[in-house]
Amino acid sequence: MSDSLIVTEKLCKTYSSGGNQQHVLKNLDLTLQNGDFTVIMGASGSGKSTLLYALSGMDQPTLGSIIVNNQNISKLSQDQLALFRRKHCGFIFQHINLLDHMSVLDNILASGLLVSRDKKEVVKRAKELLLKVGLLEKDWGKFPSQLSGGEAQRVGIVRALINRPQIVFADEPTGALNSSSSDAVLDILSSFNENGQSIVMVTHDLKTALRGNRVLYLRDGVICGDLSLDSYYNNNREQRQHQLQAFLNEMGW
Amino acid sequence: MKLWNLALSNMKGSRSSIISLFFMIMIASILLNVSLTIAIKMNTFFDNKFEQLQEPNINLLLDRSDEQQVYYDYIKQDPRVAASERETVIWAAGRFSYGENDMSIGIAVQQAEHDRQLSPIKLVEQSSEPEATNGIYVPYDFKLNAGYQLGDPFTLHIDDQSFHYTIAGFFESAMMGMHNTGILKFYLPEEEFIKLEEHTADHGVLYSIKLQDSGQITGFLNDFTGEFPDPPGRSASAPLFTTLDSDIVKSVGSMTINIITMILMAFALVIIAVALIVIQFRVSNHITEGMNNIGVLKALGYTSYQVMLSILLQFVIITLSAGVLGAAISYLVLPVFGSVVTTLSGLLWSKSFLPLINLISIALILLLIVLVVVMSSLRIFRLPPVVALRGGIITHNFKKNRFPLDKVKGPLQLLLACKTTLTNMKQNFMISVIVTAITFASVFSVVLYYNIGKDKTAFIHLVGAETSNVMLQITDAADYEQVLTSLEQMEHMTKVAVLDMTSMKVDGQSFYMNISDDYSKLNNQLVYEGRYPKYDNEIAVSWVVASALNKTIGDMVEVEAGELKSNYLITGLSQSISNLGQMTYMTVSGAKQVLPHYEGTLLNLYIEGVDNTSFIQQLKAQFGHDITNIIDVTDTIQSQSKIYTSAVFTVMVTVLVITFLVVVLILYLVIKKMILQRKKELGVLRSLGYTTFQLMSQISLSFLPVVVLSVLLGGGLGAIYTNPLLSVLLSSAGVRNVQFIINIPLILFVCIALILLSYVISFLASYGIKKITTRRLMIEE
Repeated sequence: MSDSLIVTEKLCKTYSSGGNQQHVLKNLDLTLQNGDFTVIMGASGSGKSTLLYALSGMDQPTLGSIIVNNQNISKLSQDQLALFRRKHCGFIFQHINLLDHMSVLDNILASGLLVSRDKKEVVKRAKELLLKVGLLEKDWGKFPSQLSGGEAQRVGIVRALINRPQIVFADEPTGALNSSSSDAVLDILSSFNENGQSIVMVTHDLKTALRGNRVLYLRDGVICGDLSLDSYYNNNREQRQHQLQAFLNEMGW
Repeated sequence: MKLWNLALSNMKGSRSSIISLFFMIMIASILLNVSLTIAIKMNTFFDNKFEQLQEPNINLLLDRSDEQQVYYDYIKQDPRVAASERETVIWAAGRFSYGENDMSIGIAVQQAEHDRQLSPIKLVEQSSEPEATNGIYVPYDFKLNAGYQLGDPFTLHIDDQSFHYTIAGFFESAMMGMHNTGILKFYLPEEEFIKLEEHTADHGVLYSIKLQDSGQITGFLNDFTGEFPDPPGRSASAPLFTTLDSDIVKSVGSMTINIITMILMAFALVIIAVALIVIQFRVSNHITEGMNNIGVLKALGYTSYQVMLSILLQFVIITLSAGVLGAAISYLVLPVFGSVVTTLSGLLWSKSFLPLINLISIALILLLIVLVVVMSSLRIFRLPPVVALRGGIITHNFKKNRFPLDKVKGPLQLLLACKTTLTNMKQNFMISVIVTAITFASVFSVVLYYNIGKDKTAFIHLVGAETSNVMLQITDAADYEQVLTSLEQMEHMTKVAVLDMTSMKVDGQSFYMNISDDYSKLNNQLVYEGRYPKYDNEIAVSWVVASALNKTIGDMVEVEAGELKSNYLITGLSQSISNLGQMTYMTVSGAKQVLPHYEGTLLNLYIEGVDNTSFIQQLKAQFGHDITNIIDVTDTIQSQSKIYTSAVFTVMVTVLVITFLVVVLILYLVIKKMILQRKKELGVLRSLGYTTFQLMSQISLSFLPVVVLSVLLGGGLGAIYTNPLLSVLLSSAGVRNVQFIINIPLILFVCIALILLSYVISFLASYGIKKITTRRLMIEE
């Protein structure tokens, strides 16, 4: 039985622009469990990324609370959220967002050395992770512009994992990749989840969503569907796909 | 109209950098307008003043007992003389309180009510109370620089007597109205004048001479002194005639003002150069960042010329508005510098509206900016639309990974800052040039102030003054050798040096001749090439005199004094600001070749372990009757140099304040730009968990190496080249070799202050990072 990782209570997010208000998340109550690979799906503009950013401490909610490890992060300031993020979260972006003027290794160490002063240990872990995701030593000195999309996203994954975060948040991690790169990236995420890493991922792709063991469906800022699936590695992929397809049809996707 | 709209939309997108540029151009416009106005007005300032105050070209003063009718007859009959007047005056060595010190100087006291056409009394301020019975009218300089007010008591010491008066008014006068010419005049009401005349033996005569052509001053004086030379046996330190002419007045009065004006103008050009560099940077960035937009415009049918014009138009708008505002503000600032001119000259500076100068300065700045913008925009012409739409010609530049985090030791923030430094080399170069230039300007002005306001030794030596403690003039009747011996044996006396000055002809031209028994005793060694004369057939001359005579070291010159002539070998070249840089030097034995009865009666005394005032009392007690005059040299120099201190202080403050503003503007501009350009990167760093403080530190630290190196370079260049630069600036005043003290600790202090200031400003300027949130990384489809 997994324990609660993140609990939200009446979570709201509203954007104001030129006198107009847009209510993106509306009184959302949600509990995410430790060790889960939670996938958030929904139509365009449903609030998926907004929810992801709020849960990861990247954005502050308008109302409501987000409790992570008994800490209400919804009231934290920007800098307090930064401190929270570096210790507890890892983030993988759709457009990868590596730092252009730094090498692959430096991109990871810029995150790793922020938390740990033990440079030797951080460097060792970074190299181990890079090998694990299939990036060899010859790639470690390259700049992001010298990498393929898949390679760059793998660097993004390592960057997200370097500080052993409680949760990894991924916002459409394969959105900018071709299918073979996408598969490689998703395989990496699944393998880390199999070893206990909690992941929350936003996607609009069915194939990608199948990697999760829980799928939340968002419509107009409200969770209107919550599906539990067997683990991706339980070898009943066809059944899982049917389950997910039926669920999404029900949701009107 | 479409180009206008384009230009306006360009401007809307970069408000803060436009404001920074606006301020920079405005400052440059203010400086240029002020310096041009002063420079142009100074050309005619003194001439206009001489005209306005009906001043003569020449004043001649002599003892009444020496006067002969033939002198004034000669003046009246000379065809070069347009008008002349003769007036009896009190002509004496006076001493009075001037600010915090005493000043000893030649004074001419005139009757206030005397009807004179030349130099009539022109009161600037007058006491409103009924004339005090002991009222005195003093030069306006006394109010400006000595702190006197109407109604203040004023004591005049002549010989050993003290005469007490009340300030009844301040007058403006170009001739004898400013102590820097060595003679001051005062006016007394008739009753007081007669009383003073009765109590002193210093009765003099003043000849005021207005020439048909002011260019004939030198010729007239040469002829006059040639016609009426000092009689043989007359002490060289007490010549028959003491002269003052308008050329000397203008030279002395305008020297410092001209230096200040040149400094302001040079600094204005530095600021303009800074603005041009920033504009070039901005245009270049604008084109790079707006490459896609340029492609779109070209695709829509805009020509390259139109695109360039839309960029140019925004800078024209900024320049014209900042230039006009700067010109307007300069009229508010001018009175400050006008008061500096008044302080230095004793003459009132009048406000005037000079639109032509304003137009010229705006036009100059505009022209330079247009040139830079056009040259920076030329690459627009080389961009086909399709290339621009694809972001221009992208070159893959696989740089080295500097400061690899796994290998280099050091705090993370510092290493990341160093990485940032190395990825912005173009921008760093721009900052480096600007910071180096303004550091140089700051060091220059600080060195100038230190040598003119604090340790004035070098400045005083430049002026040509000898920095002894006391100057003593002994009577003709005194036993010269005995007095000299007694002086040398006095307690506290370290040395005694003869240093007289008289007028002699050298190769037919009249110059002032210094006479000393031993030039090596003097503190102020003015000879910079060769040596001072040692023997009776040697002479040293200033380089200005050498140029005038077309002679140099090793050449012979003929010196004439009275009826006698003798030849001398030039042994050295000197420099001096005083007397238009014209000075010559010979020994006492050399002087006796042409003045057989010469005895050096003007002595410089150098003391130790006692203050000047006490020592002067001792001298009076011991040598009473043998003394004609005693001057506290230290006090006199302090009081006379005070006006230069405040003028240079104004310049230094102006330069430092503008330096501060430019540093703030530049760093703000660059950092704002950097934050905009790195918005995404900073958002990513924030997402990784970097706090606002950490990101601000990274940015401010990234500028530190550039600023430190540039400040040290500018400071070093300032330390090395301030003196050579001053030599060039002062060459027209008679200077060849400036040796101002380069106070290294002070320069280091300025450099460190600039570095700290830059760091603080860059830290504060990067506060805009706070607005960068991770939300902007979110892509909501």
